[in-house]
Amino acid sequence: METILQQLINGLTVGSMYALIALGYTMVYGVLLLLNFAHGDLFMVGSYIAITLLVGLGIGGGLGLAAMVGLFITILLVAGFLVAGLGVIIEKTAYKPLRNSTRLAPMLSALGVSLVLENSAMLLAGRAPRVFPAGVFPQHSYTLLGATFTNYQVIILVVSALLMVGLYWLVNRTIFGLQIRAVAENRSTASLMGVNVDNTISMVFVIGPALGAAAGFMFSMYYGVAFFTMGFTAGLKAFTAAVLGGIGNIPGAMVGGILLGLLETFGAGLLPVVSGGLLGPEYKDIFAFVVLILVLIFRPMGLLGERIPMESMTWKRSF
Amino acid sequence: MPSKRILPTIVAGAAAALFIISACAPAAAPSPTQAPAKPAATTAPAAPAATTAPAAAPTQAAQPAAGGTIKIGWGGPLTGDQAFFGKTWLNGAQLAVNEVNAAGGLLGKKLEIVALDDQADPKQGTVVAQRLADDSSIVAVIAHFNSGVTIPAEPIYNKARLAQVTNSTNPKITQLGFDTIFRPIANDNMQGGLPAEYAIQQLKAKTAAVVHDKQAFGQGVSDVFAARFKELGGTVTSVNGITHGDTDFSAVVTKIKNENPDVIQFGGTHVDGGLLLKQIRAQGMKQPMFSDDGCYTPEFIQVAGKEASEGFMTTFQVPPYNSSPAAKAFAENYKKAFNEDPGPYSGNGYIEAQVIIQAIKAANSADREAIIKAMRNVSLNTMYGPIEFDSTGEVKKPAVFLFQVQNGDFKLIWPK
Amino acid sequence: MEEKLLTSKRGASPSELLGRWGPLLLLALLALAPLRLASETALMRVVDLIAIYSLLALGLNVVTGFTGLLVLGYAAFYAVGAYLYAFFASAQFNIHGPFLLLLVVGGVAAALFGVLLGIPVLRLRGDYLAIVTLGFGEIVRIVLNNLNQLTNGPQGISLIDTPDIFGYKLSTPVHIYYLLLVLLAVSVLFLRRLERSRIGRAWAAIREDEGAARAMGVDTTRLKLMAFAIGASFAGLAGVVFAGLQGFVSPESFTFWESILMLSMVVVGGIGSIPGVIVGAVALIGIPEVLRQYSDYRMLAFGVVMVLMMILRPEGIWPSSMIRAELHAGRDEGDSGELTVAEPVAPPAGGSR
Repeated sequence: METILQQLINGLTVGSMYALIALGYTMVYGVLLLLNFAHGDLFMVGSYIAITLLVGLGIGGGLGLAAMVGLFITILLVAGFLVAGLGVIIEKTAYKPLRNSTRLAPMLSALGVSLVLENSAMLLAGRAPRVFPAGVFPQHSYTLLGATFTNYQVIILVVSALLMVGLYWLVNRTIFGLQIRAVAENRSTASLMGVNVDNTISMVFVIGPALGAAAGFMFSMYYGVAFFTMGFTAGLKAFTAAVLGGIGNIPGAMVGGILLGLLETFGAGLLPVVSGGLLGPEYKDIFAFVVLILVLIFRPMGLLGERIPMESMTWKRSF
Repeated sequence: MPSKRILPTIVAGAAAALFIISACAPAAAPSPTQAPAKPAATTAPAAPAATTAPAAAPTQAAQPAAGGTIKIGWGGPLTGDQAFFGKTWLNGAQLAVNEVNAAGGLLGKKLEIVALDDQADPKQGTVVAQRLADDSSIVAVIAHFNSGVTIPAEPIYNKARLAQVTNSTNPKITQLGFDTIFRPIANDNMQGGLPAEYAIQQLKAKTAAVVHDKQAFGQGVSDVFAARFKELGGTVTSVNGITHGDTDFSAVVTKIKNENPDVIQFGGTHVDGGLLLKQIRAQGMKQPMFSDDGCYTPEFIQVAGKEASEGFMTTFQVPPYNSSPAAKAFAENYKKAFNEDPGPYSGNGYIEAQVIIQAIKAANSADREAIIKAMRNVSLNTMYGPIEFDSTGEVKKPAVFLFQVQNGDFKLIWPK
Repeated sequence: MEEKLLTSKRGASPSELLGRWGPLLLLALLALAPLRLASETALMRVVDLIAIYSLLALGLNVVTGFTGLLVLGYAAFYAVGAYLYAFFASAQFNIHGPFLLLLVVGGVAAALFGVLLGIPVLRLRGDYLAIVTLGFGEIVRIVLNNLNQLTNGPQGISLIDTPDIFGYKLSTPVHIYYLLLVLLAVSVLFLRRLERSRIGRAWAAIREDEGAARAMGVDTTRLKLMAFAIGASFAGLAGVVFAGLQGFVSPESFTFWESILMLSMVVVGGIGSIPGVIVGAVALIGIPEVLRQYSDYRMLAFGVVMVLMMILRPEGIWPSSMIRAELHAGRDEGDSGELTVAEPVAPPAGGSR
């Protein structure tokens, strides 16, 4: 019984991590229908910046609660700000020129950007994995009904939820959000109504990458490590989670992420037991994909439905 | 139907493509058995030897072998996922070459490494192999790092009669029937077997849980461990594959916790292994954990954390960098040359280069076939012990050592 | 009088002559090239890889370029062909089947897998389709990686037989080159005709507007499955040749990254365009090889090249004229961010298609 509870906690943790990465991803995805291959690498850059800052500040530990919270928020903001800037630069150079071409062209440009980011990180920061300074944010374990969890997991879950709520509020209850939704729905009409499309898209590329950086920071804090190839898997999971929940759907990304985490955990931890050892943990990815395919067969628009540009809701050419 | 510009475009395009590719291929010195090479190949800038250390002295021009350099080929991952292992491995070999050059060279000529990146990808490995084989100024190669890349490359080096000294540890590599493959380090059969023996005999363990990263090396070592453990009377509770590149293994950890084995074995590399160990300890499990040379790195200890890594045991084919004066000297020289500590395979790269250097000396020639013969009979003492090869290319006295992390550092525990 | 006008024969213009004989001339050039370059076998290996990836790109082009179905797991079909040959022509099960037969079987098996993938995705479109194909690709790779008994898992299958055609061994990259040249020539001819056939037109209709196509009576189900089957079969063929060339297969050759690479070739070369995707294969295999001298910076440079290629020529190096025309016509409609005055849409440039 406690195993199941523990696996549940494991799944929620992995899932909230995926959800965090997927949030930033789904923003860009929903507005531009762009599979931003570079998002995972912006996530990686975020964690590298966070680690570099912490190592540079040389803090050993022993901070009071207020100082820790302050430091946490500062790093979050700095990493977010820097990566957001990077995101805007990338948008202006690699995506904007392709705004009116096929759908696949910016996607491939994103692929090129991803390679550039990854290899730049490798050359600048070295090939060895980077370790998050331990002790700066001390970890505490708690036990509940035989299952262990840590304060990190709580923080991640809470912060993900807060970010999601914040993002949802931003998109649905503010003028900025209105502009974003307008541009997402119909770019030319929005422009006719006085919306500055370029600035709005830039804003999307501020928010998306900033969220990615936040995810990167917390990811490397939780697992204690960052490596220059970590963006690849992250991007893949984000894409899967976003589609599962419904493209462009912010709560959907959250639900998709958590569900993906739970599926993978079940696939790795409980499926082998249930199948009597026939399907080992190495089938967890297959299990997740099979469920994904089944979900899409019965709900082709994703679990929570999609929120994407109007014209792509027709059967017109998908590229 | 077709527009007016088709033919010129096609011809221009095809010609340009062929020209570009051939112009930038390594300018092979014209070999006596071939028709004169295309003019483009010899006049275009040679693909420079991508040597990495600034200390490499030789000129970069593509001179035929009769000139002033002897070239050793090198194939391994310089970019991509395994870049760290590949680059530090290359640096080790480069150090050996630098030392030879500083002492006056080999056979009166300067030694040079031609290093090509295979990105741990088998199909790139075959292209790298062919490039090195085509370059007639290359006399022997150190290649490759990953078993999955070494295996398809072997027939290419064999056909070109290039002695191939490899760092890959999959046993199959020497079982393919090629007389050009040489492996101066112990293979996976030993790496997987030793921890099993230690666990059963010294730790009196009865059950073990096995985890691997589903890659050729990691799974290979784990398979050997599991087989040996069972052979010695133990029970393997489960064999679990994780996905390399993932960071969250909590599900597998919880599953293993439930099985409550006496020991845990992991086959794979240091990031996955370090994270796994960290998460194992985080869930309160105290079992000893073993792994392989992919986890014999300071980075492993950093990733797992000082606390969690305490007591962790791993095998390695060579004794520690501080275990002998020669090894210590190596580590210091490495640090001086490359401004960082040696990587796990830097020492291997060093002795692999030494093997080739010794073979060239013994053959007293830069002829590929002579070097193969000489290598078959080579005998030299390295900082890792004596090296001689048997008829399949395996080293005659393979050694594997078991290390344990004590106080943040790897210490040799077995055999004493 | 009219009859005379309508049936008057004039000499073929130079451009028509060149257009008709050009491809044949190119074929001759390619066939004779190795005689000049045979000493550079590394180049030949690279050319072999280019040819194999050209086959892959042509096949993917059928599904994504002709029919508009975004596939992100195409490497799965490649794996099917490669492993099939590895099973039946190696020391693995000690079966040593004939190469040509296995070539055909590989293509057919891949086609079957194509249909297998096609069935669940019939109702999906756009990115949902894409991610299911991604999942399919991963599933095939992971299964191959896990079925240790059958496939040796990550260790792969080695000692695969050299391709053997009626006793003649294709033991060097040059031999394989000629085989691939034949396969490519036949494929290009086949695909050109297919493109212009009723099937090809139906595919184009599905690509442009599936709803409208269905309304006009196109059997989208049958045609989509056909696209998957035919597209996949090319990958199967490529896989068999690849296994024969390399003598070794392992799951790491069929990753998601490989699928993306194939898709990139199609897009960079010119989506929907037969010569285009071949050029794409040349570019994306050739450029990293050319950049080899920059070792550490190679992939960085490659990334930059990708971005530049897309920015400077998003329709691809050798675009399909129809798509290029549409792209330029589309720019005058209201899809851009700026306000544009409505203009009559210019007729597509570049002659009839």
